[in-house]
Amino acid sequence: MAKIEIRQHEGLIDRAYEAFSIIDYLPDDLSDEEMEGVLHVLPGDLARTMEAFLARRIRKTSILFLKRMNDWLKNAHRTKQEGGKAILVPFNFPPEAVYIFEGAWPVTSEVLSTLGVLALEGQGERYWDYAMGLGLPDSSCSANMIEVGSVLTSEDFTPDAIISDCFGSCDINSKTHEFLARYMDIPLLFLEKPVDNTERGVNQYYKYFFKLVEEMEEFLGQKLDEDRMREVLGLANQASELYWELWDLHKFRPCPVPNIFSLMTYGTRFTQWGTQNAVDTMRSMVDVAKQRLEKRDYPADEEVARSLWTYTSYYYDMAGLFNWMEESGITHLGDGLDLVFPSVIDLTSRETMLRGVAEIARNMPMTRQMGASSMSVQWLEDITWAARELDADCCIYCGHHSCKQTWSGASVVRSELMKRERIPTLILQGDSWIRRMTPMSALQEYIEEFVKNVVKRG
Amino acid sequence: MRTMQSQSTDLYSEYVRDWKEKGGKVLGYACVATPVEIIEAAGVLPYRIKAFGHPDTELGDAYLARFNCRFCRSCLQLGLEGSYDFLDGLVETNGCDHLRGMFENWQHVKKYDFFHYLKVPHFLREDSLEYFTDELALMRDAVAGFAGTEISDDALREAIDTYDEVNAKLKRLYALREQTPPAVSGTEVMQVLCTGSSMLGRDFSDLLDEVLEEKAKARVTDYKARLMIMGSATDEVDLIADIESTGALIAADALCFGSRSFWTRGGESGDPLALLAERYLGHLFCPRMFNDYERRIEYVLDTARRAGVDGAIITYNKFCDLHGVESVSQRMDLERAGIPVLVLEKDYGSKADTGRVKTRVQAFLERLGK
Repeated sequence: MAKIEIRQHEGLIDRAYEAFSIIDYLPDDLSDEEMEGVLHVLPGDLARTMEAFLARRIRKTSILFLKRMNDWLKNAHRTKQEGGKAILVPFNFPPEAVYIFEGAWPVTSEVLSTLGVLALEGQGERYWDYAMGLGLPDSSCSANMIEVGSVLTSEDFTPDAIISDCFGSCDINSKTHEFLARYMDIPLLFLEKPVDNTERGVNQYYKYFFKLVEEMEEFLGQKLDEDRMREVLGLANQASELYWELWDLHKFRPCPVPNIFSLMTYGTRFTQWGTQNAVDTMRSMVDVAKQRLEKRDYPADEEVARSLWTYTSYYYDMAGLFNWMEESGITHLGDGLDLVFPSVIDLTSRETMLRGVAEIARNMPMTRQMGASSMSVQWLEDITWAARELDADCCIYCGHHSCKQTWSGASVVRSELMKRERIPTLILQGDSWIRRMTPMSALQEYIEEFVKNVVKRG
Repeated sequence: MRTMQSQSTDLYSEYVRDWKEKGGKVLGYACVATPVEIIEAAGVLPYRIKAFGHPDTELGDAYLARFNCRFCRSCLQLGLEGSYDFLDGLVETNGCDHLRGMFENWQHVKKYDFFHYLKVPHFLREDSLEYFTDELALMRDAVAGFAGTEISDDALREAIDTYDEVNAKLKRLYALREQTPPAVSGTEVMQVLCTGSSMLGRDFSDLLDEVLEEKAKARVTDYKARLMIMGSATDEVDLIADIESTGALIAADALCFGSRSFWTRGGESGDPLALLAERYLGHLFCPRMFNDYERRIEYVLDTARRAGVDGAIITYNKFCDLHGVESVSQRMDLERAGIPVLVLEKDYGSKADTGRVKTRVQAFLERLGK
């Protein structure tokens, strides 16, 4: 059995919850002096994260984003305390499909891992180590295994049920959650996307989705209320419209959208879509980008390169990646997780609303690409489309070591992007959530060399 | 048996060569969820793709990555370098992330005229079974078109009967291995299975008659412990031989190339496609199947008890997510049932791993007091 001991209140979610509660004490904006004071008293790892978020150009939106994430965490606890159900979902399951139920709160596995990495001293390593101690493979995905490792200790916030919709698009994600459910004896609900983009495949997905809704109704002991659905999905629609506004703002040169908004967009998408908080955060990002566009502001002297990350980014050093790139003139236009393709849902009836949510779920990142008839073809099409839309000069594949399904197609995607669009791709290697594998300084060197020797000369 | 031993690790075996020379067509498939009966009913040879521990992966690595399972990289290597040019087409399934990648890259480069994707659901429920039955109808049409023939229900029933016969004979072979003392070793059983996976069912059935007759009175006596082996897709006859060279006898298995490919093939439907759907999706004891762990572990425990094993080896290829995660629960449940376990993560086909594997098995035997 695992030798790493996690004592009461040392679980990732509990600790992150405590760490994030500091945010409540911050005003909505800070002066540079105040910011320095805050960074001075924070532990090292958290201070490094806050340094990225509190950069002057994004400070106000960041504080709002962090406060909203804090609300999300707080409400997960509150929901349980009030007798509701916290439901663990993967990032590719739309949270609004949970919010439409009264007294149900989505807790998103990968976001929890990321919050742990961002906020905790020692990041998520002790939870990862605990999972490894149980014998789980070291080629597992840290995006899940950090948070799951913590829950497995039985000393952390435990979800009441798990929804998994990753099989067919990510083996390790689906197996990890299946294991967690069995080990902790938590109910497991699931949704498969047939790897079939024909009409038959799409209709089958809808069938499965409607079946899941029935199972959720049964689990939660309630029938969906149409008025609540309309309210939640109406807010989701507002957030989706703001998403597309922000998307369009990325098209300007130099890009007026700060790099870290990529993360903040999907952080919000994967946790709060369907709430007023998501609308507020998205609006704030749009406002900042518009102001920057108006002033033609850019953090470097010139925009040297516009990069589109084809899958995930790196999350263990926000300042080292997002801010460093921007200050070096390299725009991060977004990554594969930003390709959430939110559509506006028809709010006419229960049926139109459920069909709308099903369609959104079918097009969530990873589900849409890796769960397609051909994972490399759909992925390539989406990246090509995004690269054209956003006028990207280059692509970067982060090479998260556990993404076996994207590693399977990365070579084809790179060569076809070059052949069809003349867009070069840099393939990196590392673990997006664990700093042990590739240090940020090494990644910076690779990116710098690539931009200097390939992109700028191209 | 000697003929089988000489052919069992030959990709383009004499049997396949002969079939091709007579103008026969060959379809490659890799996943145990592929109903070979449909292929055979069309008069086409179903050929299970193997790599036999082929160690080179340079071409495979150029398309897949070193974070992908090496079994898939080795198969892809053989496909890209031309060793599989005798195949007339491929049948892909969504078995796992690595397998999908292998097929996509293989087809991307080789561009077979016939490439069919059989979509296998990841869970068993009435609605998924219906979907899979429809998938099999699509596969029947596609294979029939490829073979230039019709696949009638009668032809399908005949193929199903043939495989029932094969499966029954394989169970007899397994019984010979499970008995004390056994009549056949684990290595020999693996050789038989690998040979059969490149043959028509009807010919394999005849061959099995010969093997069963030859082995009926044989006895394997020189072994220290009876072990069960289970885990991810492996066709490594050498791996079994290496393990048995330490004094262990592989008396039972729950391998994808082994018992899981034939042991449980039940079904009740009168319609042949619905029957095949039940047989394959309903009895796919692979960790790719979601929410079905209880049945899988029951199958494993039944097998272990029947063979009276002293211990179990759970082996999986590095980067295999499905078996890697599953191995944790399996280990816990086997140990709870009083069966000691060795979890052996290995690099497929790596000769450099041989010494390490042997050492760990030897240590395991010592742990068992053997």
